[in-house]
Amino acid sequence: MLLLPQALVDGLLIGGIYITIAIGFSLAYGVMHIIDFAVGEWIMLGAFLGLYLSQWTQMEPLLLLPVVFIVFGVLGYLFQPVIYRVLSGKKGNPLLMALVFTFGLAIAFKGLGLTVFGFFSRSIPSAMAANSFTFVKGDFFVTIPVIRLIGLVYAIGVTLVLSWILKRTDFGLAIQALAQNKEAAGLMGISAKKTNSWVYGIYVGISAMSGVLIGCMFSISAQMGSKYTVLSFFVVVLAGMGFLAGVPWAAFLLGMVQSFFLIYFDPGYTLLAVFIILYTVLLISPKGLFGKGV
Amino acid sequence: MTEPILRVDGIVKTFGGLHAVNDVSFDVGKGMIVGLIGPNGAGKTTIFNVISGYYAPTRGKVFFKGSDISGLPPYKLAKMGIGRTFQVVKPFPGLSVLENVMVAALCKHPRKHDARQHAWEILEFTGLASRADDAAASLTLPGRKRLEISKALALEPELLLLDEVVAGLNPTEADRTIELILKLRDQGISILVVEHIMRVIMNISDQVVVLNFGQQIALGKPVEVARDPVVIEAYLGEEAA
Amino acid sequence: MRRGILAFGLFVGVMALVPAFVQNAFVLRIVTELFMWIVLAITWDVMAGYAGYLNFGHGAFFGAGAYVTAILMMRYGWPFFVTLPVAGLFAGVAAFLAGIPTLRLKGAYFAIATWALALAVQQLALVLDITGGPDGMRLPPFLDPVFFFYLILAVAVATFLLLWVLLEWAPFGLKLKSIREDESGAMALGLNPARIKVQAFILSAVPAGVLGGIYAFWITFIDPASVLADIITDQAMVMAVFGGLGTLLGPVIGAIIVFSFKTIFWAYLSDYQVLYLIILGGGIALTVVFLPNGIWGTIIGHIQGRNALHKGMSLNMPPGRSPVQGADVND
Repeated sequence: MLLLPQALVDGLLIGGIYITIAIGFSLAYGVMHIIDFAVGEWIMLGAFLGLYLSQWTQMEPLLLLPVVFIVFGVLGYLFQPVIYRVLSGKKGNPLLMALVFTFGLAIAFKGLGLTVFGFFSRSIPSAMAANSFTFVKGDFFVTIPVIRLIGLVYAIGVTLVLSWILKRTDFGLAIQALAQNKEAAGLMGISAKKTNSWVYGIYVGISAMSGVLIGCMFSISAQMGSKYTVLSFFVVVLAGMGFLAGVPWAAFLLGMVQSFFLIYFDPGYTLLAVFIILYTVLLISPKGLFGKGV
Repeated sequence: MTEPILRVDGIVKTFGGLHAVNDVSFDVGKGMIVGLIGPNGAGKTTIFNVISGYYAPTRGKVFFKGSDISGLPPYKLAKMGIGRTFQVVKPFPGLSVLENVMVAALCKHPRKHDARQHAWEILEFTGLASRADDAAASLTLPGRKRLEISKALALEPELLLLDEVVAGLNPTEADRTIELILKLRDQGISILVVEHIMRVIMNISDQVVVLNFGQQIALGKPVEVARDPVVIEAYLGEEAA
Repeated sequence: MRRGILAFGLFVGVMALVPAFVQNAFVLRIVTELFMWIVLAITWDVMAGYAGYLNFGHGAFFGAGAYVTAILMMRYGWPFFVTLPVAGLFAGVAAFLAGIPTLRLKGAYFAIATWALALAVQQLALVLDITGGPDGMRLPPFLDPVFFFYLILAVAVATFLLLWVLLEWAPFGLKLKSIREDESGAMALGLNPARIKVQAFILSAVPAGVLGGIYAFWITFIDPASVLADIITDQAMVMAVFGGLGTLLGPVIGAIIVFSFKTIFWAYLSDYQVLYLIILGGGIALTVVFLPNGIWGTIIGHIQGRNALHKGMSLNMPPGRSPVQGADVND
């Protein structure tokens, strides 16, 4: 009971980071209907770029987030046409082939990571990592590491900026039109190819930035990708694939599951619980907890 | 009075409170062609989906040769002898034309060799035999519509539901398909046909059912229906005007 | 078809003679493992190529079979051969129970669900006592490479024949393919997709389960990180896609090429092991982009394409309408 406040706060803080590994992904799914098995690998690559940049420039890694975003945004933008080509293929089942394609990418990126970065776990040294606030009231106490708080703020920031873009800008309207109806969007003069590329760029950029934050909070390694791919799938599925407003709730739920298993149950069962929840939700309500997926 | 092949009795189908079809009743007698007409969104395809088992009716019943089939899944109905085509044609694009028809033929001929034999006969009857080994994806629209009919026929159905098999064809192709439909009727197959083109429906149907906004507004012989003021106002009026 | 049977018989005959000429235990082991991968690749393709469902948890059937054999032998003292049917049965029942709900999901949803399920099985094996948790299980050593060579060869041959009979000779394969092409359209033709898909799922699971049982006894040590690893499904998938989905020979050819490559790579370039992942992943991505039908699929496509073109010439096309123009009207 004494640990309950800590469990809740931890869940909230971890949940924040899960928003950012899933929200871009959900956006990309909503527009392109593609499941990217390489999402965890984009996170991994972003994390290592953050690590090397901060070592090289001796700068605070958190200040380098925009650089990571731009580098990977451009990479994603340039990469998307290849996926588009697979998706619009005429032979066989393009959707399945696109799945296999991103899956191949994931393996290749992982190999790339292992080749360049090796097998070791690292963490990104941030000046913020050592600090924390502690609140004590009677027997209850809560510790909040500053870096995790920053992570939550960052997550909320990304979510707000993204929803502002989607709701208030012409570009956002174009994305929504495309997500709802490809042909109609085409009639309105929206170039599906261009918009898809932008969306994919944004998604890859956000994922890569999240990698840097993960590196500051936890550890990173070339093998980390598939773990985050699964967590990302978890959040996106529970939220309802392509339904952005569901993402924060699902992310916080995942955070809570993790922190409660860590504090109250055997942490060894955390992943088992995560996978079972994911599978069960898929069976009972494949469109997510809110039934709003596409 | 003999039992009709198909009896549609007070069918209601709602989607989220909206009535797609509201209280539709008609019979299809043995060896008859019944036409189902109505403007876009009148509920024709919904009726088809209810009869062929793709939707369960919200209320009302469907009888096939006297037995209640409402809510049975499509594959059971196909086995019982109800063949249907789809307005948006559904070929198996990666399979050959012959294989497409074979899949249906397997229903009555479980051995592959017999099914192939039967599928060939069907293709010769429908005039697709020369394309038998081509991929279904390579067929043009008329070919695909013909393939739809071939597949439905391969089930050796007693009742055939044809959803806009003439629409989109050029006049020559259309005439050939109409000829085909009449030939099937002469073989004793009962046919329910949805079509946009009035000329087709009026020429071949023994009975016509007219739907408008999900409501059944007329039922009768083509000549009677064509004179019905309600029908003229709702539907035919557009063309007459 | 007669030529095919002849070639198949010849191939099996030659393979059966391998132990007589190859005394090198390493080489024998490699060939044995190759047959194992062939089975995994062709059974994965039953779902992917024939039914159109990407099963990202195929390896779980293999791992489950391995654990069934290990547990029955070590905890209950069963003789090895008696455990094999149980391993296959277990995988089949698991496929039946998991298949009924999971196969209602389509496309990406199915892929994620099977992945989650396989990961859950892996985690379960890590926390259960009966599986030995992360420490895994050790089986009594039975070091007879020739025995395992023939056993796995027999399973591979039996699996190939079974799949050939069911998928290529009997109507089942045609039904499965029509479900892949259009599930709701297939229903109108008298096919019950739910039932046929579950049957296919079981068909793909049982050989993998039996194989897992043999593998456990062969390698004599299993743990969740080895027999329940993602890489098992991954590799089978790469082989099948590379060779060509929806054919029986494609995954076999893919398995031979990918596995040979892997073996050579690891034998001569073991310092650069991780490069293998780049080549594997990059290879699969490039295959999807440039050879979506895989190697074998592309080859037979060319052969058939030439035939079709030949026939196209004699088609009674209406004047003024070439087959090429006709193709534009398709959609």
